[in-house]
Amino acid sequence: MAVAAPPLRGRVHPARWVKDNLFGTVWDAVLTLAFAVVGVWALSGAVRFVFVSGRWEIVRDSVTSLLVGLFPRAELWRVWLLTFAVATAAGFVTGAARTRRLAEDPSLPRASASAAARDIARRSWPLAALVVVLLVLRPSPTGAALLAVLAAASAGAWWAGTLVPPRRTMLANLPPAALVAVAFWLVVGAGGVGWDRWGGLLLTLFLAAAGVAVSFPIGVLLALGRRSRLPAVRLTCVGYIELIRGVPLITLLFMGSFVVGFLFPPGSSRPSLVTRALIAIIAFTAAYIAEIVRGGLQAVPRAQLEAALAVGLSPIAAMRLVVLPQALRAVIPAIVGQFISLFKDTSLVAIIGLSDLLRIGQGLTSNPRFLAQGLQAEILVFVSFVYWVGAYSMSKASQRLEVRMGVGVR
Amino acid sequence: MSDATVAARPPPWRDVRVLRVAAQILFVALVVAFLWFLWFNLLTNMRNQGIRTDYGFLDRRAGFRIAGTDFSSRRPLLDALLIGVKNTALVVVLGIALATVLGVVVGVARLSTNVLVRRAASVYVESLRNIPVLVIIIFWSTAVILKLPSIREPIAWPGFIVSNRGMRVPWTYGRPGLGAYWTVLVFGLVLAGLLAVWRTRRFDATGAPHHRWAWGLTAFAVVAVAGYLALGRPFSVSLPSLDGIRITGGSAVGPEYAAVLLGLVVYTASHIAEIVRGSILAVSKGQTEAATAVGLGPAQRLRLVILPQAFRVAVPPLANQFLNLTKNSSLGIAVAYAEISAITFVAIGNGAPAPQSISIMMLVYLAFSLGISALTNLANRRLQISGSR
Amino acid sequence: MSGRRLAFGFAVVALALLATACPGGGEEDGVLAQVTDRDIVRCGVNDAVPGFGFLEGDTYAGFDIEYCRAVAAAVLGDADKVEFTALTAEQRFTALQAAEVDVLIRNTTWTADRDGNEGAAFVTTTFYDGQGMMVQGDSAYQTLEDMGGTTICVLSGTTTELNLAAQFEARDIDFEPLSFRDNETLQQNFIEGRCDGWTSDKSQLAAQRSNWPEDQGGPEALRILDVTMSKEPLGPVVRDGNSDWFDAVNWTVIATIQAWEFGITSENVDEIRGNTDDPEITRFLGGDVEAEEGEDAAPFDAGLGLPADFAYQVISQVGNYQEIYNRNVGPDTPLGLEPGVNDLWTNGGVLYPPPYR
Repeated sequence: MAVAAPPLRGRVHPARWVKDNLFGTVWDAVLTLAFAVVGVWALSGAVRFVFVSGRWEIVRDSVTSLLVGLFPRAELWRVWLLTFAVATAAGFVTGAARTRRLAEDPSLPRASASAAARDIARRSWPLAALVVVLLVLRPSPTGAALLAVLAAASAGAWWAGTLVPPRRTMLANLPPAALVAVAFWLVVGAGGVGWDRWGGLLLTLFLAAAGVAVSFPIGVLLALGRRSRLPAVRLTCVGYIELIRGVPLITLLFMGSFVVGFLFPPGSSRPSLVTRALIAIIAFTAAYIAEIVRGGLQAVPRAQLEAALAVGLSPIAAMRLVVLPQALRAVIPAIVGQFISLFKDTSLVAIIGLSDLLRIGQGLTSNPRFLAQGLQAEILVFVSFVYWVGAYSMSKASQRLEVRMGVGVR
Repeated sequence: MSDATVAARPPPWRDVRVLRVAAQILFVALVVAFLWFLWFNLLTNMRNQGIRTDYGFLDRRAGFRIAGTDFSSRRPLLDALLIGVKNTALVVVLGIALATVLGVVVGVARLSTNVLVRRAASVYVESLRNIPVLVIIIFWSTAVILKLPSIREPIAWPGFIVSNRGMRVPWTYGRPGLGAYWTVLVFGLVLAGLLAVWRTRRFDATGAPHHRWAWGLTAFAVVAVAGYLALGRPFSVSLPSLDGIRITGGSAVGPEYAAVLLGLVVYTASHIAEIVRGSILAVSKGQTEAATAVGLGPAQRLRLVILPQAFRVAVPPLANQFLNLTKNSSLGIAVAYAEISAITFVAIGNGAPAPQSISIMMLVYLAFSLGISALTNLANRRLQISGSR
Repeated sequence: MSGRRLAFGFAVVALALLATACPGGGEEDGVLAQVTDRDIVRCGVNDAVPGFGFLEGDTYAGFDIEYCRAVAAAVLGDADKVEFTALTAEQRFTALQAAEVDVLIRNTTWTADRDGNEGAAFVTTTFYDGQGMMVQGDSAYQTLEDMGGTTICVLSGTTTELNLAAQFEARDIDFEPLSFRDNETLQQNFIEGRCDGWTSDKSQLAAQRSNWPEDQGGPEALRILDVTMSKEPLGPVVRDGNSDWFDAVNWTVIATIQAWEFGITSENVDEIRGNTDDPEITRFLGGDVEAEEGEDAAPFDAGLGLPADFAYQVISQVGNYQEIYNRNVGPDTPLGLEPGVNDLWTNGGVLYPPPYR
């Protein structure tokens, strides 16, 4: 049976295309003109602001503060180490995941590794843009060299990951995780700088990553508890989840800032503000992850659980070996979505006084050199740009992940 | 195979019923023990430092004033919290309305055939969705509204005075007879409703066009105008006027309120646009083709066929966005808008005990969340009934 | 199945442990003992008020900062053993209550409400101040009554916010208050003309005015009204219920004032210590005092829990009150504050140190 060929498309003359698409009807023409005018005005204003009239010295002088806060400058090599570890680990895991994906579904088009690498490089243009902006603001040969080595290390790790045999890809996740853990320990322990003194973008990323990582097991337990047949367990979990989802994050941060200190036994030492904010963030995120995992558990057909029980697995083993893995794989995009939204929500810790990216940006205007000159716009544009790069890259990656997994469009 | 049909009770550690009950008892005991431990620490620490542990502080004088109101510092703290609740409600109600309108417009624009419109909407959505809402609110507050002209040289159009202290708009004020006029207006509404129902029945019976909106609105307008004249002008319009740095007359729109509202609307609309786009795409293409075949134009197609069906799909995620907007209104604290979380923060800073104050704040937000969830669930259930007109 | 029994066993044991771990409650360990064990003093400070507490590069400096260092010098013998935590006005008392900081030295006004309801204890006042109002130099306001109908900026969570409301309502002047969480936002709004007046402690107003940028007209563009709206005695704060720590901080402050009265400065303290024959000064600096019959000469021990030479450590490592004052907020600094009432009682001020005896 021959597959019908797609209809022939003639080459459309550009003028014809413009007339059809932009000026088809009167309404269309009006809209085109209006948007063209507004667009040109907005674009020219933005370009003028960014390149001509904006006074970027306020950002230029404080790039390091914005990135790492008051982290002792002599110990910054530890942060570089952590960045290397994370980039290498991410590259390796992505490469291994690609191998597994290609092995599981032989019908996928097999682009060569180099084509896939070029594809990834092309898609990370926001990150590249951020790096370029930072280097333009603060030209630094060592910085540029280190970033180049970072990119090369990440690419090398990706290529190494593609060499992992498909059956071993789960095991292959362990060495990168261990590497990141060791690098993290090096930053915090061994004469390093505890996370109480972190700030800037580093603190933002740490709060978001630690928030999602630590709240993940708690969220899974809550989701399982919510589906339990024991009424006491179910009600407790439902109560907790609905309570946390009904209040804004700021209330929990207030609790973390003002009340958590009181919850410790009298006379014991109280944790620092960063730790308390982290506790609040973990309590908050656990409820949302519980809802996401619950959705994933509902999406696994009941037949799976029944088949597992019929085969002779105990209920706990059936959950652990059959249902949970499928559920969790299905909700990875949603969890990435939660990470993105937590990444944006950590800007709220500025309100309780933690020196995250936003708060440091706001504090820059109190420097006597820039005081009272109305430079908030420059700072807010830069901070927005950094957040945008992070959130946009991650959400694009998550969308690609969803498409690949065949998860339905919401 | 044994003869006995009555199975012997298994030993307790294998009896499912016993295990179930025991597991629940154990779980509850652990949870209660943990909570009691925290509670005990909290009370002990508070008593050690002489902080009160009851809610009596609500009757004490607030001691602070609230911008934009005539709240006296001698009034009790409870009144200040109630003003906060009212301000939150103001932002939430208007915010949900405006964000939905803007979101639907942008969502439809993202599917437009016009390339420029489509691009502009895409840029809007992709940029604003990925920026924290706090940054957007602060941007509106410091980089836009604060930069408006000062009160000494405001923008003064007839009836509108705009400065960085806010906007004054014309507003009505009551005169004798206003109470009676409200009754007249209610009567007018009822009359309009009855007329619409009557016209609809005529339409069902005979098929003649009902024009029920025209009938209803005309009836209401006639009653309103007649009542206004008959009662001797029970309200009048006051225009704001500038006198030095004071403005008398009109009604004020505070700058902080504007910043929070604009920031929330702009951010939530970008999310709503995505939801609307997804829900329109979820309507099967056959509907569009059938509507075109029947002869409906693009606008009619959208209004009569696609949007109603898309709406059904969109309600649950929309409800989620409304809840998010309610929770994000707590960011008024960053720009000194006196909603409930800002007032709680100020109260704590002025000596109110923190645990009780925060518990009140959480209750308020829970109440808002439950209310909005209930309303949207109601809408959802109504929409699921097929065949509704 | 044995796994299940094992799980039960663990659960029961955990419950039992949890029950026994419940604390007996009651008073906490003395803060003085904790600080000595920890070997560092945690001080809650301001990071945005020139002259009193602000960031210079990546270290803190200011009048209050120096008193933090004085406490460390007295208790631990080393003025650098301090850990600073910047706190906003709203956070400061809850941070103190939650034991995040040991002492709060942050322009905090001593009021009855804070003593009682906030569980705070105020030591000797280090700076007697009053609340004032600052306006643009070219405005016509001379008294508070002129400011009817104006908008006034104030920091939230401070006594100035409460005093503003009380004063204006008592004089029946209508006004719009605008409260901000930090001075930077307040300053921005004041410059943009969002408010007509800025009220705060006069020392803070002087500090902000001294730092006013030149392209806004410099300090001459602002004027502080000749009105004092309230009394603002500022000093270090500790938590209620820790009398040994209270005494330690209190006598550190008193020592700086007493040193001024004796004429001892950081420059001459070593010389005086070696050469004095005034028994009061010897006792003060921790030298051996005259012994009773049959006892060895030993330094005076007042039972405060401080080392005998704490006053010597404070003066030599930090300085006396006058030095601290003149270094940070005195007439030769950009703030240019005359001592006024912050002077010794012998010069007509109100600083009267109790005798160290």
